Amino acid sequence: MSGEISIKGLSKVYRTDDSETVAIKDFNLEIKEGELIAIVGPSGCGKTTLLRCIAGLEEVTAGVISSGSKVFSEPGPDRGMVFQDFALFPWRTVRKNIEFGLEIAGMPKEQRKEKSDKYLALMGLTAFADAQVHELSGGMKQRVSIARALITHPDIILMDEPFGALDAQTRNIMQMELVKLLDKTDQTIVFITHSVDEAVFLADRIVVLTKRPAEIKEIVEVPWPRPRDRASPEFTALRKRILTELENENTLV
Amino acid sequence: MTDYFGFNYDKNNKHHRMIRQALLIVVSLYGFVLLWWIVSLLANSVAIPTPLETWDEFVRLLRDGDVTNYGASVWGYVGSSMTTFLEGFAVAFVIAVPLGLLLGYSKDLRDLTAPAIEVLRPIAPIAWAPILILSIDYVVGPVLVVAIGIFFPLLTNTIFGVQKIDRNLTDAAKTLGAKPYQIFYKVMVPSALPYVMNGVKVGLGVGWMCIIAAELYAPSLGGIGNFLSEQAFMGYWPSVYAALILIAAMGLITTGLAEYVHKIITRRMGME
Repeated sequence: MSGEISIKGLSKVYRTDDSETVAIKDFNLEIKEGELIAIVGPSGCGKTTLLRCIAGLEEVTAGVISSGSKVFSEPGPDRGMVFQDFALFPWRTVRKNIEFGLEIAGMPKEQRKEKSDKYLALMGLTAFADAQVHELSGGMKQRVSIARALITHPDIILMDEPFGALDAQTRNIMQMELVKLLDKTDQTIVFITHSVDEAVFLADRIVVLTKRPAEIKEIVEVPWPRPRDRASPEFTALRKRILTELENENTLV
Repeated sequence: MTDYFGFNYDKNNKHHRMIRQALLIVVSLYGFVLLWWIVSLLANSVAIPTPLETWDEFVRLLRDGDVTNYGASVWGYVGSSMTTFLEGFAVAFVIAVPLGLLLGYSKDLRDLTAPAIEVLRPIAPIAWAPILILSIDYVVGPVLVVAIGIFFPLLTNTIFGVQKIDRNLTDAAKTLGAKPYQIFYKVMVPSALPYVMNGVKVGLGVGWMCIIAAELYAPSLGGIGNFLSEQAFMGYWPSVYAALILIAAMGLITTGLAEYVHKIITRRMGME
């Protein structure tokens, strides 16, 4: 395992003919192996851009993102990604979606089936193995997407508002399931979210960003074991504090 | 529930929908035949036979063959046209689809070829018929005319299909370790498929327009288009219209088939 992430001097600038948008400016962050980092920030602050830079889907303007001696300049199977809108392949069944990464790696069919059976069971999808994607509910789709990202055993999992498209109830269920899943894996997770509640519920550390260009406003350690009690006074107090900080960011426009 | 003359129509009932569909087809065709009949009576011209005369001739044609050509079977004409058509389709398909995928993938290639394609595309495919048939030969010529007709709608739809790809899907494939060539054939090709089929559907229609015209320049090929024009020259009008029925039937069969494949693909992808 080499799940640590080191971000040094990261800047991302979008240039068009007559304008320049600085999405991220001189950003530094060290993420430890096996850590769950939640990144929260005002809308449009560059959270997703940051995640896409780590994934290697965006070219960085300056700076280096690396893990040990490995520099992340291109996407790779060492970093799995879960998208907000699931990004499942609609022409593939649930099983074939989950097996995609294994297929790419050239794993023989029997082995693929063995592994996908395991992940189908893990995510409670066994009964839906041969279903088409469009037959599933939003929560089910995101389970498929998570299974697809987990199956190749990436050291790092990047989640871009994975529960953002789900209704509140499904969202809570998925958060609980992610907590259970976390106990079984030692992967590093970088989790982008709109929801401070979700961040406090899940994360080891919460990185609070400023409005664009994204800089770190504060890093909050959340020392409590999971699963956490949303109704506890510490929980609500921490949530309120971070929310206030974000509101200040939003009104400073 | 909608009340139609005392009948409670429920659009969620499969049988009700089927009955509705069948009734619509019957009424539509019946109206068409009625209109035809009225026009032929009003015109009172030998060039517009009544539907009944046409039907009698159609049945006779199938039974006795082409009496103006020693009773040659019309199935031979149909077969010849169908062969030309399918060959033209095959030529268009094997060129337009890979080219469309490539042009959809590469903006550079697209920009490079766009001016040339835009110059050629508006030329009516039928304009190529005398050129290709007289300069090559009467077998290959019509095939190429059909191919040109099918080529452009198929090409533009395929390019469009590749460009319409959800960027999240290619991103997801990249993060799962897919190399560019794997992204191409595991993501781009399947996701463009419904658009390719749409191009096939449009192309088939254009193809049938082309083949009948092309056959006029290739009498020795013995296709249904040639039969039609010869009958018209000789003034056997009911035969002309009987030939039209055959042409319509062939068009229905091919577009129906394409429609069916398109439906299967889009249903599987949840695109309905």
